[in-house]
Amino acid sequence: MNETAILVKNLNKTFKSLKAVDNLDFHVYKTECFGLLGPNGAGKTTTMKLLYGKSEFDPNQDTVISIFGNSPQTNALTIKAFSGIIPQQDNLDTELNVADNLSVYAQFYGFSRKEAKKRIDELLDFMELQEKAKVKIKELSGGMQRRLTIARALLNKPKLLILDEPTTGLDPQVRHLIWNKLRELKESGVTILITTHYMDEAFNLCDRIIIMDKGRKLIEGKPRELLSENLEKFVLEIHGIKKESPDCSNLDKENIRCEFHGDSLYAFSDNVENLSRFGESFKDYVYHIRHANLEDLFLKVTGRSLNELQ
Amino acid sequence: MSYNDDYPIPSFFQRIYSVWMRHIRVYFSEFFSNAVPPFFEPIITLGGLGIGLGMVIPKMGNMSYWLFLASGLLVTNAMFMAAYECSFGTFIRLEFRKIYDGMLGAPLSPNDIIIGEILFTGTKGLFFSFAFLVVAWITGIIRNPLSIMTIFIGFLTGIMFAALSMFITSFINNITHFNFYFTGLLNPMFFLSGVLFPVENLPKVLIWIAECMPMTHAVRLSRAFCIPGGIKPHLLIDLIYCLLFTFFFGWISIKRIKKRLII
Repeated sequence: MNETAILVKNLNKTFKSLKAVDNLDFHVYKTECFGLLGPNGAGKTTTMKLLYGKSEFDPNQDTVISIFGNSPQTNALTIKAFSGIIPQQDNLDTELNVADNLSVYAQFYGFSRKEAKKRIDELLDFMELQEKAKVKIKELSGGMQRRLTIARALLNKPKLLILDEPTTGLDPQVRHLIWNKLRELKESGVTILITTHYMDEAFNLCDRIIIMDKGRKLIEGKPRELLSENLEKFVLEIHGIKKESPDCSNLDKENIRCEFHGDSLYAFSDNVENLSRFGESFKDYVYHIRHANLEDLFLKVTGRSLNELQ
Repeated sequence: MSYNDDYPIPSFFQRIYSVWMRHIRVYFSEFFSNAVPPFFEPIITLGGLGIGLGMVIPKMGNMSYWLFLASGLLVTNAMFMAAYECSFGTFIRLEFRKIYDGMLGAPLSPNDIIIGEILFTGTKGLFFSFAFLVVAWITGIIRNPLSIMTIFIGFLTGIMFAALSMFITSFINNITHFNFYFTGLLNPMFFLSGVLFPVENLPKVLIWIAECMPMTHAVRLSRAFCIPGGIKPHLLIDLIYCLLFTFFFGWISIKRIKKRLII
């Protein structure tokens, strides 16, 4: 039986009139990678902050937060001592160079100079930043800054990593490097909690995910199982279409489900032959058929239109 | 990489020290532009005021006007430094650069961060007073050996105005509003603190106002160490005032800034 690393029950957070987290329940097993997905303003970052005491949850006697047996209300320092936290926004000391950024932070954990130096060398190696050790932060690319922020969170050899959108705005090479490193950490026994709105990131890394919106949990489960339970296998897409043109009646018996969004048509089905026959019926348009993915699921459960917080 | 299962939390003093050290390292990373001007500033302010005013006012009570001026400017210098550090400086770290958010990912509490920063500002005050003192010694303006003690008054001024400025910062949402603090509070305080002219000769109302202001007490303490036989028992009141002021505003600042860090 898996041991629980993080337990959250009845978590609520209100900012003035906005309910940022609404009765949230979830749990994370040890050495698992758990993803919080949701559109901007869904309450992902707030949830993360509540876990390590950066934010205070609404007082409610039914609320439970336990991080390896610790409550962020009373033991925030204990939690932070064994966790590595990667915030959404890099907040490095731009006046200092790469190695000094790490050594300043190592002191926050009470490392001796010798310990710190050894650990910093290891981490520069791990995040492939050795050659940048003496370079000032201002001269680093966004991807290097992000890697340094991750290295900084690994100084204490954390058993829990809390990552808030670790790869937003980075190029594919850096994203893949970061994914590889996170998988390596997971293999070594680190529990990972990650927020993202990149569906491929969640699919690549996460054992289990929840999709949340407006502070509430919409669905929870393993990415593959969620897909097969909630969506047809294949999707046909046609873009630039006029709403009047296609005839979507009589599709039920073909087991095809149709959706229009703007000038795009999405047709879902488990039967790829039916779909391609349907695609062929559009003489003036190019169609393509692909496997349904987490993004389709995400859009299905959170809706395609923007809300006021996005 | 493997993780261990021993995650000690550093002691309170280690945590404060690590925050203090972070600021020291960042400060001295720009060694030239941060450490050199404090030595030139006294030459300019002393020269600027001393040459002009010193010719008109040769003596101030039983001391030269130069000595009168230098023994006060020694700490007002630290006052303005501390006020900038913990108003604009703190606000930028808090709101724009999110430095504190980064620190709060480590096993540090908001208290550690605020106390460490106040102590760093005190240290900077000590350094600024020391730089001023060196110039005053070399030029022969200050000769009393006990004047070395003024570096501690510089420290006291540093933490006192760090605490007050953090208190102000805790209310500020728009960085330009600090102008009111500087123009409305610190500048009048500078003129009323007895640094340019003695407070005792002012109208009664102004004397009362001057006595309420923290700078007046710091200037009195500093001056006492610069003139031979200047140490008198009543200075204890000035010292107690400065300490109470620092603890009071430091305590409220911690309460209020914490609310902005933990939201």
